[in-house]
Amino acid sequence: MKAPPVDYVRPRSLTEAVGLLAHASVEARVIAGGQSLVGMMNLRVAAPGLLIDIARLPELLTVADHADAVTLGACVTHAAIEDGRVADPSHGLMPRVASTLAYRAIRTRGTIGGSLALSDPAAEWPAVLAALDAEVVLSGSSGRRLLKCTEFTTGIFQTKLAQNEIIESVRVPKLSAGARCGYVKLCRKSGEFANALAVVVADPRRGYSRVVAGAANGAPLVLGDASHLVAEGPHDPDTLRGTIGRDLDRASDRHFDEFQRNLHTAAAMRAVQQALL
Amino acid sequence: MTAIHLHVNGAAIADDVPPRLSLADFLRERRNLTGTHLGCEHGVCGACTVFVDGEPARSCLMLAVACDERMVETIEGFADDPVIAALRRTFHQRHALQCGYCTPAMLITARDLILRKRAGSEREIRDGLAGNICRCTGYTNIVTAIAEAAKEIGKEAPNAQ
Amino acid sequence: MPNDQYGVGASLLRKEDDRHLHGRGQFVADIKLPGTMEVAFVRSPHAHARIRSISVPPEVRGRVFTAADLPRIRPIRITVQAAGAKAPAWPPLATEKARYVGEAIAACIAGSRGEAEDLANAVTVDFEVLDAVVDAPREMHGSRHLIHEQWGDNLYVERVVEGGDIDAAARAAEVTVTRQFRMQRQSGAPLEGRAVLACRDHRLDEVVVYASTQTPHTLRVALGEFLDIEARRIRVVAPDVGGGFGPKARLYPEEIILAALALQLDHPVRWVEDRGEHLLTAAHTRDHHYKATAYADRQGRILGVDTEIVVDAGAYGLWPQGPYQEAAMAARNLPGPYTIPNYRARHYTVATNKAPLGPYRGVGRPGACFAIERIVDEIARAVGRDPVEVRAENMVRSDQMPFTTVGGMRLDNGDYPRSVRLCAELLNLPGIRARQQKGEPDGRLVGIGFAAFAEQTAHGAAEFVARGAAIIPGFESCTARILPDGSVVLMVGIQSHGQGLETTLSQIAAHELGIDPSRISVRHGDTESTAFGFGTFASRSMVMSGGAVARASRVLRDKLCRIGAHLLQCDPAQVRCTEGAVLGPQGSVSIAEIAQVAHLRMDGLPPGVDPLLDATATYEPAIGTGVFSYATHGAVVAVDPETGFIDLLDFAVAEDCGTMVNPMIVEGQIRGGVVQGIGTALYEEIPYDEAGQPLAGTLADYLLPGAAELPAIKIGHLHTPAAATEYGMKGMGEGGAVAPPAAIANAVRDALAALGAEVNETPITPRRVLAAIRKAREAVAQA
Repeated sequence: MKAPPVDYVRPRSLTEAVGLLAHASVEARVIAGGQSLVGMMNLRVAAPGLLIDIARLPELLTVADHADAVTLGACVTHAAIEDGRVADPSHGLMPRVASTLAYRAIRTRGTIGGSLALSDPAAEWPAVLAALDAEVVLSGSSGRRLLKCTEFTTGIFQTKLAQNEIIESVRVPKLSAGARCGYVKLCRKSGEFANALAVVVADPRRGYSRVVAGAANGAPLVLGDASHLVAEGPHDPDTLRGTIGRDLDRASDRHFDEFQRNLHTAAAMRAVQQALL
Repeated sequence: MTAIHLHVNGAAIADDVPPRLSLADFLRERRNLTGTHLGCEHGVCGACTVFVDGEPARSCLMLAVACDERMVETIEGFADDPVIAALRRTFHQRHALQCGYCTPAMLITARDLILRKRAGSEREIRDGLAGNICRCTGYTNIVTAIAEAAKEIGKEAPNAQ
Repeated sequence: MPNDQYGVGASLLRKEDDRHLHGRGQFVADIKLPGTMEVAFVRSPHAHARIRSISVPPEVRGRVFTAADLPRIRPIRITVQAAGAKAPAWPPLATEKARYVGEAIAACIAGSRGEAEDLANAVTVDFEVLDAVVDAPREMHGSRHLIHEQWGDNLYVERVVEGGDIDAAARAAEVTVTRQFRMQRQSGAPLEGRAVLACRDHRLDEVVVYASTQTPHTLRVALGEFLDIEARRIRVVAPDVGGGFGPKARLYPEEIILAALALQLDHPVRWVEDRGEHLLTAAHTRDHHYKATAYADRQGRILGVDTEIVVDAGAYGLWPQGPYQEAAMAARNLPGPYTIPNYRARHYTVATNKAPLGPYRGVGRPGACFAIERIVDEIARAVGRDPVEVRAENMVRSDQMPFTTVGGMRLDNGDYPRSVRLCAELLNLPGIRARQQKGEPDGRLVGIGFAAFAEQTAHGAAEFVARGAAIIPGFESCTARILPDGSVVLMVGIQSHGQGLETTLSQIAAHELGIDPSRISVRHGDTESTAFGFGTFASRSMVMSGGAVARASRVLRDKLCRIGAHLLQCDPAQVRCTEGAVLGPQGSVSIAEIAQVAHLRMDGLPPGVDPLLDATATYEPAIGTGVFSYATHGAVVAVDPETGFIDLLDFAVAEDCGTMVNPMIVEGQIRGGVVQGIGTALYEEIPYDEAGQPLAGTLADYLLPGAAELPAIKIGHLHTPAAATEYGMKGMGEGGAVAPPAAIANAVRDALAALGAEVNETPITPRRVLAAIRKAREAVAQA
């Protein structure tokens, strides 16, 4: 299928982009890598009136390496993260995750900001950024605001991104020395969307640990009890399994069937074992 | 219609295109570069893979307008490229193509793997080919051909390991 | 004299490679004709609906064509040979009823495909939605909703294949195994979809149709029939075709519509299908249901098999053969390579509100192989013996051949048990057993499974007549021509779309003529320049077309020798063709010189010999019932019992296709077929909801195996040349796709043996594996 008719503009600054978005008289969408948006347009499930190309805006490509965090511009590509061409706050977790995302030719264009803005339930970055306790910086006509990633994604393709806002960057706290991570993506065919995802971050020096399930029929699911268990250190498999099970059962609004429950349990177990072994 | 200026296989091109036109259709229909093929137009099959600014990209998922001021390389380029030349030789010798539809994109992807030194083992090559579907060959010979070309190129490089 | 470097048996590198390696292939969508307009179709969103009206906005009238706007198009009709079989008339553009999601209702024309799709979206159709018929096994016992009202039911045909006395086998049985098997609906999914470019040629008073098809000549027959035009005014060209595998060997409504548009509009028109259209409306495949009971003695010797086979054939039959051969082939091939003496197979070909079913690599055989090979393993387990041994013992032995199976297959020759043992060797069966004993550190369960089959190939007229086929593809043709400079052109009726026939057919001519293949061109795919032939399918091209090439080449060889002998002033019996020349006792004359005499210097011809070096020959093998290649496939899997995920660790094929013209190409065909079989086994499926909506519309849902999921495919060869073909060749192109589902299902069974779980449905998804494990646990708990 071919995309429906659309207009296109490429602003030269973030301010210009925000202005175009605010004043558009048709449905306007920003386009960065376009790997999801153009795909949706080609299937005619998206039909914006105006595309505002932000892929090359310098403000969205900057990477800042602070003492306690790294800020990645929204248009940093998955490939740049995979290759280690940008500062890594996550002791290799983010490059490792990036390498499992779709295919290389997609990763050279797709962006971390684009992934977060779409919040496909089976996508990797929303779950990973939630596990790392990252924040997202949003730019709109009324200025800038900061949100925790755990609050930013609210459901399937649903976020707190306002109509006239653009994701500017994500701010990821740096893991301390000695922090450990686990990441499991379950899928049958390399590069396809996950059937189940689990991300574990254990950073005892900061008193921080979190277990997140992705591809969980909604926003990334923080497994609260499992997160506390991880903070305590290794446990026997039965205890771990039971704790994860309670977390999944509590999320009754996700309507996991037995198969999905099995997958999420296995993914979370294995990710925890990776982090704690 | 939107004016664009880009480089295609080293030549400066100026054109006026509808924004909805994909890079793939721009190349195939407006530049008559039909070596880049369409198999799905949703980014999964890989048949449309070209180089954009030196990196492999899905020409079905890029808009031509978004390629303004970019450098695009297709299978019709690479006349003097030693990596593509080596791959053409090994693909031929190892029977790594049958119907030929996936072949240009396979060569493009393989070139990228070799240049990024991601073609050192069978596992690495297979993972690197995940985004290129072939329906004819069963992949075995493609993997062998890429491994051989990588070795050849590795030997020729001044800092070969 | 045959040349080891380039004759029969040489792994000659392919002549077709150069253009593809440089991106200079010419597929239909690569052909540019000035003034071409693009076509997009209005397609039914409903599986079953009456069409009340079609509304075309006035501003786009003239660019939208319904059936009423293309009056020259006749409905597609299949000539049915078998009594009691039904065939619906199929209007290429639906008028009264839509019978599957995607059925074409109107053609829209614009300057670009995107604009044509915009037009299609502007057309509104008023539907009265009807209940959809989706469940084939339920429908065969009486239908509540009729797809073709005049039928009275939804059954294309039902038949029985019987041999021996199945009731006696049941009485004598010491072991009885009953199972149900299911192979889900699939798409053929070649990487290049279908495409048609049609235009009028006023100079030649023809309509020219470029089509991505495997069967150009029969497409011309169809166009002539359904557009009421004489064949001499139609030219069909299949240029480069990006994979066919069967779905492109059938007539499609779009091909007729595009030709009709070209005739009416007098500018070129083009339709290039997208992947969604392909998944929706190109021939669907597989979709078999089996209920089977097998009877055996306590050694595992199979006494009989009683089975019911249901094929879900969709809403229409594809021309020319209709849907009938799928179930019939499954029924006749289910006895496999075994000596089973008693058999009954009731088979039903059912109409449903789905896209029409067509042939796909192996056709009915992958389903039949799945059923019988799973049965063999279950019988082995029931009697407590190794499936490898039980399999080999039930096989027809070479000293018993030719052997006609109880399904009616006349197995010609081969050593089937040896293929089982060779396959086990290739996979290191003892090593796998040791590994299983040891267990995996990560808790996964390793299993190994085998499956064998015999593949009927190059069957001739008698076989197709027995099947009740509407047309009989029992021969192939070749026109061989030596040009004035001594270079050679072979014009053949098959169509090469990956099989390397431009190379292998030139090897045969080189073998006969002693001319280097680099001086031989193979022309195929164009009805203009080739004698009538049926195209490439049914693993027939090497034997049939190769045979025709051999015969035509020999005619030329004899004439070259006569002229050469005359020029050398010796007896024709004293000369032979070798190395580009005719060699006599005292000298040689080059083929180029002879060709010059035959064209430009006819004064040099011997008396009684006419000018030109041109020969047309047809060929059919001496045996009409086919020559049988065979193989045993083996798979090693690791199953994750917590998630149901399956890793394919190893795969091997031990095969025998007689004489291999080009071993390199043979192995390429095997590996390609195996990976498609693995797709069937583990990945590919088009599920339907109750309303008849297909639920796999993109390659994100319809998973195709990639290199990362697959091991290298190991191959071992046996060589039993056919007695009835040129050089002893047998066809083999489809075999690779036949056995992987069965081998992998048997491997999963082996891996889960301790849990007692089995999966008898493809694709074997993690969901189905976990469901099987749970079911087995519940059965144990209840016991």
